Amino acid sequence: MKLWAAAAAVALLALPLIGVDDYYLHLLIMAGIFYLLAAGMNLLLAAGQLNLGHTAFYGIGAYTSGLLGVHFGLSPLWTMPVAAAFTGFVGYLLGRLTLRLRGAYFVLVTVGFAEVIRLVATNWMDLTQGPMGLAGVPAFNLGIERWTLVSKRDYYYLMAALVAGTLFVTARILGSRVGRALAAIQSNEGLAESSGISAYAHTMLAMVVSCVLAGVAGAFYAHYITFLSPELFGFQNTVTMAVMVVAGGQGMVLGPAVGSLVFTFVPELLRMAANRMLLYGVILLLVVMFMPRGLVFYLRALLRGRAPSPAAVQAADAALETGRAAAAGAAPALDVREMTVRFGGLAAVEDLSLTLGRGEILALIGPNGAGKSTAFNVVTGFQPADTGRVDFDGADITGLPPYRIAERGLVRMFQRTSVFPEAPALDNVLTACHRLARTRLWEVVLMTEAAREEEARHRRRAQSLLNFVGLGRKAGEAAKNLSCGEQRLLGLAIALAPDPSVLLLDEPAAGLNAVETGQLMHLIEVIRSRGLSVLLVEHDMKLVMGLCDRVVVLNYGVKIAEGTPTEIQQHPEVIRAYLGSGEILADA
Amino acid sequence: MLAEFVQHVVNGLIVGGGYALMGIGLTLIFGIMRVVNFAHGEFFMMGAFFLFTLFSLWGVNFFLASLLSVIGVGLVGAVVERLILRRLRLAPIEIPMLATVALSVIIQNAAILLWDPSPKTIKHVFSPVPLTLGPINVVSIRLFAGLVAVALIVGSHLLIQKTRIGRAMRATFQDTDMARLTGVDVDRVYMFTFAFGAALAGASGALLGAVFWVYPAMGDLAALKSFAVVIMGGLGNFLGAIVGGLLLGVSESLGAGYISSGYKDAIGFILIILLLLWRPQGLFGKKALPR
Repeated sequence: MKLWAAAAAVALLALPLIGVDDYYLHLLIMAGIFYLLAAGMNLLLAAGQLNLGHTAFYGIGAYTSGLLGVHFGLSPLWTMPVAAAFTGFVGYLLGRLTLRLRGAYFVLVTVGFAEVIRLVATNWMDLTQGPMGLAGVPAFNLGIERWTLVSKRDYYYLMAALVAGTLFVTARILGSRVGRALAAIQSNEGLAESSGISAYAHTMLAMVVSCVLAGVAGAFYAHYITFLSPELFGFQNTVTMAVMVVAGGQGMVLGPAVGSLVFTFVPELLRMAANRMLLYGVILLLVVMFMPRGLVFYLRALLRGRAPSPAAVQAADAALETGRAAAAGAAPALDVREMTVRFGGLAAVEDLSLTLGRGEILALIGPNGAGKSTAFNVVTGFQPADTGRVDFDGADITGLPPYRIAERGLVRMFQRTSVFPEAPALDNVLTACHRLARTRLWEVVLMTEAAREEEARHRRRAQSLLNFVGLGRKAGEAAKNLSCGEQRLLGLAIALAPDPSVLLLDEPAAGLNAVETGQLMHLIEVIRSRGLSVLLVEHDMKLVMGLCDRVVVLNYGVKIAEGTPTEIQQHPEVIRAYLGSGEILADA
Repeated sequence: MLAEFVQHVVNGLIVGGGYALMGIGLTLIFGIMRVVNFAHGEFFMMGAFFLFTLFSLWGVNFFLASLLSVIGVGLVGAVVERLILRRLRLAPIEIPMLATVALSVIIQNAAILLWDPSPKTIKHVFSPVPLTLGPINVVSIRLFAGLVAVALIVGSHLLIQKTRIGRAMRATFQDTDMARLTGVDVDRVYMFTFAFGAALAGASGALLGAVFWVYPAMGDLAALKSFAVVIMGGLGNFLGAIVGGLLLGVSESLGAGYISSGYKDAIGFILIILLLLWRPQGLFGKKALPR
C-alpha cells in the first residue's frame, strides 16, 4: 500500500511537468480542495460525530480571506492563516454549543448551522454583496512580483503542498493515541471516559482541526477562483464531501484522498457535469448499501489480504509494579458518605456509607435491584447523587466527570460493555493507557523522540497486561471475536491500563465458568498484593466469600449488613433478604 | 397594531400546522426506526408535485387529487423502506442517514428532469377573496390548509393511541426486541411508520404547495424547518413536534413582520441555538440524549 501511495504521489507531482492540460490540473486542484474538506469531516467522524454542515466552514474560510483581501488589500499570505484561525475559532464556538449532543442531534444542528450561515451570506448585502457574489478577490500574490502565482501549475503545487501537509497531520493524529481515543469514543464512550479519556476534549480537538482545514480549503478556493457566492454554503457541497468520505473509506487516512480524487473525476469523465448531483446521489446510495466501508477498505483487502498481527512482544510483567498505590496516606482509599440517589420518588440508594481500606477487597452484594450498580455509577461519576459525598484518597471527587475520576486513579470495569469491540485486544489496552501519556499533541504529530519512546513504552505495558490476564497470544484478535470469558479478562486488563490505585469491578465473574472464575479470583488476589484496593459487585457467592475481606449488603437501596464473609453468612437479615433460601450458605 | 399582531399569529399558525405535520412524520420515523430522514423534504415536494400533476395537468377533482397525492407519497415511502432502509437496519446510525441523504438528492434531481425547475402555482378551487373576521383576513385556501392540518394531526394522534397498528408502533418505540417477542410484526410497523411519516410530509407539501409555489427544491427549506421543529420538540416526541411546529410558524411570521423577512428562514435555528444553551435535551425531552 505504501509503495502504491508513493508511486501515485510521484506521478501526481510529475503531471504538470509532462504538459498535462490545464483542465485536468484544475480538476486536480478542486480534488485537493475537497480532500482538505473531506479529511476534516473524516477526522470528526472518527469520533462518531457526522458534521453535515461542514461546508459552512469552507464558506467562512473563503469569505474571511476573500473579504480581507478585497477590503484591505492584504496578501493571501496573511489572510489565509487568519481565515484558517478564524474558522477554527467558529468551530470551537459551535463545538462548545453542540458537542454535548450526540448522533442525530449533532447532525441536525450542524445542518441548521450551515443554513443560518448561508442565509447570513445571502442577506448581509453590505458585507458579502449577497447573491450577486463577491468579485475581485485578489489572486495569490506574495508581495514580490516573482512570487505571484499565475499559472495553473503554481496553484497546483501549492495545493499539493497543502494536501501533503494534511495527509501528514491526519495520518499522525489518526495513528496516534489521539486517534485511538477518537475511535474509543465512537465505539464505547462510557468505557473511554472511565479509562481517563475526555470525550468532550477529544471531539473538540477533532472539530477544531477539521474546521481549520476547511478554512484553509476555503481561503485557497477564494484566491484561486477569485469570485465567491453564497452557493459555497449549499448543502450540495456537504453531500459531495460526505460521498467522498464514506465512499472513499471513513476512518482511514487515505479514504478521503481516494474519495475526493475519484468523485471529482468520475462525473467529469462521464460527461455528466450537468447532472453531477444525480450521479452523486446514486453513487452514495449504492455505496452505503453495498460497500459501506468504502473503496480504500476493499482495495487494501485486495492488496494484502489480512492485516498482519502485531509481533508478540515479550515484556517483563512489570506493568503492575508502576502503581502509585504505594503512596499511602492516612485516609481510606475510598470513602462514601450518606449517598442517596432517587429516581422520581423511588430511592435507588438511600443513605449509603461505606469505606474501602487501602489494599482491601470489599464486596457489595444484594438481590437484583438493590442499588449496587447505581452506587457504582455515582462513585465513578456516571450519575449524579442527590445527596452525599465521595472521597477518594482523601479528596472530594463528588460530581467530577468520569474521565477526571479515572485520571486520579479510580477506574471501573463495566458489567457488559467492557471492551472496544472492533479494535484488536492490544489496542483495547493501549487505548486505556491514555491517561499515562505525558507528551503533547504537537509532539505526537511530529513524532518526536519522546512521543515515540512513550508509544513504545505503552505498547510494552499493554502487552504485559495482556500477558498478565493470560491473553498474551490473542493480542491481534479483535475484541468482539474473543469468548465471553476472554472479554471479561480483557476488560480487566483495560481497567488496569490507566494504572489505578482503586479498581471497581461490576460483576466480573458474570458469564464465567468455574475454571475461569478461579483464574479471575487468582488475578484479583495478585492485583491486591500489588497494593491496589478493589471494590466489587458480584452475585457469585463463591468468589465473594472466598476472596473478599469484608462484605456490604444492600437491599432496596439500604445497607442492611456489613462484616466479614463469615459474619455475613450468619446475618439473619441477609438470609431473609435472599428469601431465606440459604443460598449463600449452600454456595459458599 | 394589535390587529396586525393577531394577523401575524394567525398566518403563523396556519404555516405552523404544515410544519407540525412535517415534524410529526419526522419524529415518528426517528422515534421508532432510529432513522433521521433526510428525504423528508422530498416527500413534501412530491406531495405538491403529485397534486400539481393530477389537478393542474390532468384535471382530476382537487380534493380527490389531494387525497391521491398523499396516498401516492405514502406508497413511495413504503417502497423506500422495503428496498433500502430495511437492509440497513443493523448498520451504524450514519449509514441509513446517508442513504436518505442520497435519496433526497436523487429524488430532487429526478424532479428537475421530470418537471423542470421553474416554480409553478396550483390554481386551486377556492375563492381568492379573503374571509374577514373583524380585523383579520384569511384567504380561504389558507383556512382550508390550516383546518386539514389540524384534522390530520388529530387523526394521527388517534391512530397512534387508539388503533392496533398504533399500539404496535408504541410498543416498538419503547422496546423493539420486547415488541417482537410479544408478537408484533416489527417489519410491518417499520414499513407503516415510514409510509405514514412520508404521507404526512406529502400532505403538508400538497397543502402548502397549493398556498405558495411548487418547485423541485421546495423541500430543502421545508426539511430544514422540520429538523428545527423536531430538535425543539425532542426527537421522537409527538407532542413536541406539534408545539415545535406551531411555535416555529408563529415566530417566523412575527419575525418576518417585525424584524426582517430575509432572515425569516433562519429564525428556527436561532431559536434552537438559544434552546440548546438552556435545555440541551429539547423542550420536551426527558430522557438523556441518545448515544
